[in-house]
Amino acid sequence: MKQQLITAAFLTLIAPALLQSCGGNNAPQAEAPTAEQANPSATTPANGETGTLEIRANGEDFVREGFTTKDGWEISFDHVYVTLADVTAYQTDPPFNSEAGTEIQATQEVSVSEPKTVDLAEGETDADPVLVDTVEAPAGRYNALSWRMVSANSGPADGYPLVMQGTATKDGETINFNLRLNQELAFTCGDFVGDDRKGILEPGDTTDLEATFHFDHLFGDGDAPPDDEINTGALGFDPLAALAQNGELDADTAELEQNMSADDYNTLLGILPSLGHVGEGHCQETQLTT
Amino acid sequence: MKPRLMILLGLLSVLGVQSRAIAHGVEINYQTTEAIAINATYDTGEPMAEAQVIVYAPDDPSTPWMTGTTDEQGRFLFAPDRAQSGNWEVAVRQAGHGEILSIPVDGEAASETEQAPAPSSETAAVEQTAGRANNLDALSPLQKGVMGGAVLWGFIGTALFFARGKK
Repeated sequence: MKQQLITAAFLTLIAPALLQSCGGNNAPQAEAPTAEQANPSATTPANGETGTLEIRANGEDFVREGFTTKDGWEISFDHVYVTLADVTAYQTDPPFNSEAGTEIQATQEVSVSEPKTVDLAEGETDADPVLVDTVEAPAGRYNALSWRMVSANSGPADGYPLVMQGTATKDGETINFNLRLNQELAFTCGDFVGDDRKGILEPGDTTDLEATFHFDHLFGDGDAPPDDEINTGALGFDPLAALAQNGELDADTAELEQNMSADDYNTLLGILPSLGHVGEGHCQETQLTT
Repeated sequence: MKPRLMILLGLLSVLGVQSRAIAHGVEINYQTTEAIAINATYDTGEPMAEAQVIVYAPDDPSTPWMTGTTDEQGRFLFAPDRAQSGNWEVAVRQAGHGEILSIPVDGEAASETEQAPAPSSETAAVEQTAGRANNLDALSPLQKGVMGGAVLWGFIGTALFFARGKK
């Protein structure tokens, strides 16, 4: 009888414990984050309080200082014209992740009204990124940015969203190039990633946001190992140099398509959507890639 | 090359003992806390080894709350201040490549798994696994019913056992 009593007591006590243990091994149920979990101070506009938001464009040191391509060409830019339109800064909740394939959910947004053409090569090597425009904006946390690259309506880049002018030198050979690309692009980006934080606008204060362009994606980086992805995926300058005549290369997209190999031209097209960044942060390109 | 950040929120037991006071004695205490584990890789799968990590707290997103570097496997661990609920942001940067991820942290310990939208080959993913799943809320209704029935059966069986008398 004593043994039976122990057995009964054991079953009574151990069964619930075993069942609960099984339950504990189950994956907890997924639960989407709620708006209340977000930091209200980071996304809620201040009541009627505004500041100044500077929208800047940056071609980084590659454009201002020049660089060596993956195939050994020393590139020096005289001008890199980009024409930006519909530049919009957002306060988003939840924070926008450009790689999640989701839409921006903005609680506040401000835009630059007119298309602007800027020269990314403008200024000294230590110059600040080029100012596109300033807008009066409600205070808050601007953690997303979008813009389109459209054809300029006038000026040196008339008819093109992107114009690159400069010289390329290698082994005593110098090529003056003027590349005019007419692919229109649209970038949607999340928070800036870099040495500093950007887009945190206090009332009465000034802060900036930056549209960054990574031209090393196009030409590669001679300072990086050949097997680095920045080089394995880049076009380099050799395919363009092959089109030069008497040290001159003046070509638009149609001429590049006509004279480059199909592989090289497709490589060029495939790289363009990766030009746009926010600092080191990646963007979603929504026009050429769709 | 795009970075990918995996985040694992888990319960950590920081192991320690309290030693007796002796000459040059060392006192080690322990506490249990929840931590966020970062796993940073490039989209090629290569770990972001020894990459710079910057953590920003919700109350002051301008100032780094913590800085550090990932290990050889691209991992980094930190325990957020639970008094600061909201979006904790973690930036991982290396050689011109970087990504920043926002991690919603509730002030109270949560028992949940959270999965970001299905990651593509170039999508940063966020995964939070349970820190404290060992409670009744984590059980399904069926499990709770079976468990209740087992308890009831135990009481009835025990009562019948004693009520049957000696043969």
